[in-house]
Amino acid sequence: MSKNRITIVAVLVASLAAATGAYAAKVVEEIQIEGMVSPASPKALTAALEEKLAVKVLGYEFYGTENGWPILKVEFDSGAVSKDQIEKVIDSTKDPSGTSFRVHRGQVKIHLPLLEEETKADGVFAAESPDIGQLTNPIPASADSHTRGQELYVKFCSKCHGMNGNGAGPSAHGFSTDPRQLWSWYQADKSADPYLFWFITNGRSDMPPWGVILSENQRWDLVNYIKTLAPPTN
Amino acid sequence: MAEKIKPPRMKLKRRIKQNEIFKVKVRFDHPSFTGLGMVDENEELFNRAIPSTFIRNMLVYYDDELVSRFRTSSAIADNPLFTFKLKAVKEAPVKIVFIDDQGERWETSKDVKFRT
Repeated sequence: MSKNRITIVAVLVASLAAATGAYAAKVVEEIQIEGMVSPASPKALTAALEEKLAVKVLGYEFYGTENGWPILKVEFDSGAVSKDQIEKVIDSTKDPSGTSFRVHRGQVKIHLPLLEEETKADGVFAAESPDIGQLTNPIPASADSHTRGQELYVKFCSKCHGMNGNGAGPSAHGFSTDPRQLWSWYQADKSADPYLFWFITNGRSDMPPWGVILSENQRWDLVNYIKTLAPPTN
Repeated sequence: MAEKIKPPRMKLKRRIKQNEIFKVKVRFDHPSFTGLGMVDENEELFNRAIPSTFIRNMLVYYDDELVSRFRTSSAIADNPLFTFKLKAVKEAPVKIVFIDDQGERWETSKDVKFRT
């Protein structure tokens, strides 16, 4: 091959490269990453990418991303590096703890629906949810109601729940669950009434169903009184 | 973290007296991971790190009747060993079903045989 022909080929190659370069551009891509398990993870991935490819890692977004997966922001020259190459490097890199990095593709599989047999088992074993319904307290929270409620409380409830509702009455021993601290209902609004009424009526765990002993009005008086039990001040 | 999932294995006494209360031991090699990681120690916030994986339900059948259910969470150990007791009321298979949070299902079964 003559010297002239070599020169022409070289010029052509250079022109082609220049033309390609003209179309290449800096690109910023966001890639969802799996495998970010520790503070060492982003450092390891950044090092691997910048070492193996001509890319610049702009940073990571760990929190508040659309589907929860951390996002890697990377800048590269589209003429020199492709997104596929970047993804291959990510997929072949490991965190120092040995966890493989992966590009996250597809849906996040969480909170998947229960299988039919799990739903059936729920039907057999799940605790019944209280059917509280839309009850309204027919007894006004008057001083009379509080007095009646207090008498009932001292007689029936204080042995377990304590005189002041601290959940540590003299009989509160050896139960499977500790009696509730009733002062948490102090000055609760009306929406708490049906809930308290339901638990007094039906009981739960070691608490007996007072619905078979106390009349409906007595139970509402108790609800009114429980809401006056103040928590300790210090 | 365990990588491989192996089919569950169950151990029972070979022969059991009628009405005896017997132990069932079942081991399932299944990893357990919340899927969360913490990359920024200063922030002390968790990010999604890898897909979560844990056993979410273990169902116990005795003669095809559901007799117990264990609901578990990501707090369960890798490769857990469950031990519980049943009363040998009949000669019938005990079947244990595991379901993980990805909805995959495994089962193992052994027959209760009475001592003659």
